[in-house]
Amino acid sequence: MKKFLTIVLCFALVSSAVFAAGAKEAAPAAKADSNVVKIALIIENTIDDKGWCQAMHDGIISAQAQLPGRIEYSYTEKMKPVDAGSAARQYVAQGYHIIIAHGAQYKNLILEMAEEYPQVTFAFGTSAEIGPKNVFTYMPESEETGYLSGLIAGMTTKKNIIGLVGPVDAGDAARYNRGFVLGVQAVNPAAKIMVAHSGSFSDFVKAGEIAQSQIRSGADVLTGSSQQALGALRAVADYRTQDIWWVGQDIAQIRITEGYKVIAASSYNYASVIVGLVEKLDKGVKGGEVIPLNFNNGGFVFEFNTALKDKYTGAIETKVNEAIASFKAKSGTVAYTAVDYSKL
Amino acid sequence: MNFIVNILSLGIPFSVALLIASLGEMFNQRAGVFNLGCEGIMAMGAFLGMLVPYSIGQGGPTPGIYNVLGLALAMGVGALFGMLFGFVVVTFRAPQGIAGIGLQMFGVGTAGTLFRHFVGGTQSVPGIGNLPIPFLSKIPILGPIFFSHNILVYLAFLFVPTAWYILFKTPWGLRVRAVGTNPRAADSIGIQVNKVRYQALAVGGALAGLAGAYLSLCQAKMFSDEIIAGRGFIAVALVYFGHWHPVKIMGGALLFSLAQALQLAIQGQGINFPYEFAVMLPYVMVIVVLAFSRESQLLGPTALGQPFNREKRI
Repeated sequence: MKKFLTIVLCFALVSSAVFAAGAKEAAPAAKADSNVVKIALIIENTIDDKGWCQAMHDGIISAQAQLPGRIEYSYTEKMKPVDAGSAARQYVAQGYHIIIAHGAQYKNLILEMAEEYPQVTFAFGTSAEIGPKNVFTYMPESEETGYLSGLIAGMTTKKNIIGLVGPVDAGDAARYNRGFVLGVQAVNPAAKIMVAHSGSFSDFVKAGEIAQSQIRSGADVLTGSSQQALGALRAVADYRTQDIWWVGQDIAQIRITEGYKVIAASSYNYASVIVGLVEKLDKGVKGGEVIPLNFNNGGFVFEFNTALKDKYTGAIETKVNEAIASFKAKSGTVAYTAVDYSKL
Repeated sequence: MNFIVNILSLGIPFSVALLIASLGEMFNQRAGVFNLGCEGIMAMGAFLGMLVPYSIGQGGPTPGIYNVLGLALAMGVGALFGMLFGFVVVTFRAPQGIAGIGLQMFGVGTAGTLFRHFVGGTQSVPGIGNLPIPFLSKIPILGPIFFSHNILVYLAFLFVPTAWYILFKTPWGLRVRAVGTNPRAADSIGIQVNKVRYQALAVGGALAGLAGAYLSLCQAKMFSDEIIAGRGFIAVALVYFGHWHPVKIMGGALLFSLAQALQLAIQGQGINFPYEFAVMLPYVMVIVVLAFSRESQLLGPTALGQPFNREKRI
């Protein structure tokens, strides 16, 4: 009896955690007809993480509004790559047309499944690699948003010391950080930029520790990307009365409690990717392409925090608007690959 | 000099969550039970610690009271989780390692689920601010390093002599050490082995809950599902590292955290050193020291990990 109860208790402990994650239908199911594209999203965090995953979720919701009645959408949160396969297979079984695994960590899984289910379209990012015929990849050219943040930081700093809290030196985070460095150097070559990485996309505590370390070393403007950046922003917010500011990589940061420290922020507009996917599917293209996100194709949005108008009105606003205009005219103009952190 | 002061003044608060959780785990292991579920209890503590000030304390006139209530709730539920673990491994004598992993998953999963239900998305709280000690905090160099932290930092370092006193100078501490070293002998002189193990697990759970609440209320001032990020497992390792002794455990926690502060400073200074190695530095340091602590097995509680069955013949 004791052995049986032990097994039951152990099973209960483990199963409660396993079943904590789950799938949800984000909108009422659209009428089943051939015109409706069923999209499933698999993410490692949650749809309200004020960062990476929320940006894609918001983009799909926005695309649903742009294409009324065309998109049926479901999502599954908290999926580690090892678990994501079963979720993706369930979506395939339910007849979903596009399965988006939002993160480069899902690459192997998606490539395997694409081979197994050639009739289904898969997508993952960030990646600049061209995938098989039924796999789309997407790549935010976030050196553009980083450049804008860098312009603001370089013109705002009074101590000429700027902090950059990165997650890992890869993907769009690496592009954002390098674009940021170029933006600072374009307006303030004398500024010292302190670059540090937490080694994690989601470790708020470590990002906060980095920000504290940089502030104590004199940094008075900081930035950072991915979900972990919220921890750094929270550390900045602790200096409520001091001249220490944040430039964000997610517009949601302007509207949260700590928004009083956020001068401006940019965001990915994944709606353009989703609308593009649906249009390509309509034309019979199931994959084999990289979809970039940039200002030129509406993949990025930028916003100043109007509550801090005195922080950006004038030269900063002019410089940023000029840069945005040039990015909208032509993409790929920020030579981010030339940045070498060891020479900062 | 400023570079070193920054490392030291940051390393001390970084060490607190590890120190508190490790001291709790030390009581568990001294009683013969190792609790790999420390991470899960810390997650519950982190969530509950911020839940009270978030849900009822926002904008209230006395936020300090809600922080204290949050800490108390985190410790209370941590103690309950410790006893739940005791129910599985002491009463039902389940394998401690497997049950600990189950508790870790249970704690992290439950905290995340409750967080989504009661809070929704990522939200911050005012948290517990720094409390510089008058006069002492103004002393050059020493002031920012030792006397400019939040109240839990001071308390955590007071826990070290307290834990030492309880473990080595009180009858209860003697009973804890006895049931972890030779439970059969302890039983033969009338010590209720299982009862003492439950008590130690409750103390360990309460401290793990407090350590989690420290992360959400003092460091991050917010909660996310991954806020603990492996610190519970580091805490377990630090107990071995510190040879089950409060002062040595404090040394281990400080060493780990100073290495963490050092690697952040190295990255920030633009020293040409791959950041991946910098991030690894504290963990590598723990592994290396553990590997060279050959006498660890001799110093550890000899009944560690062994369930006690009074009826079993030797």
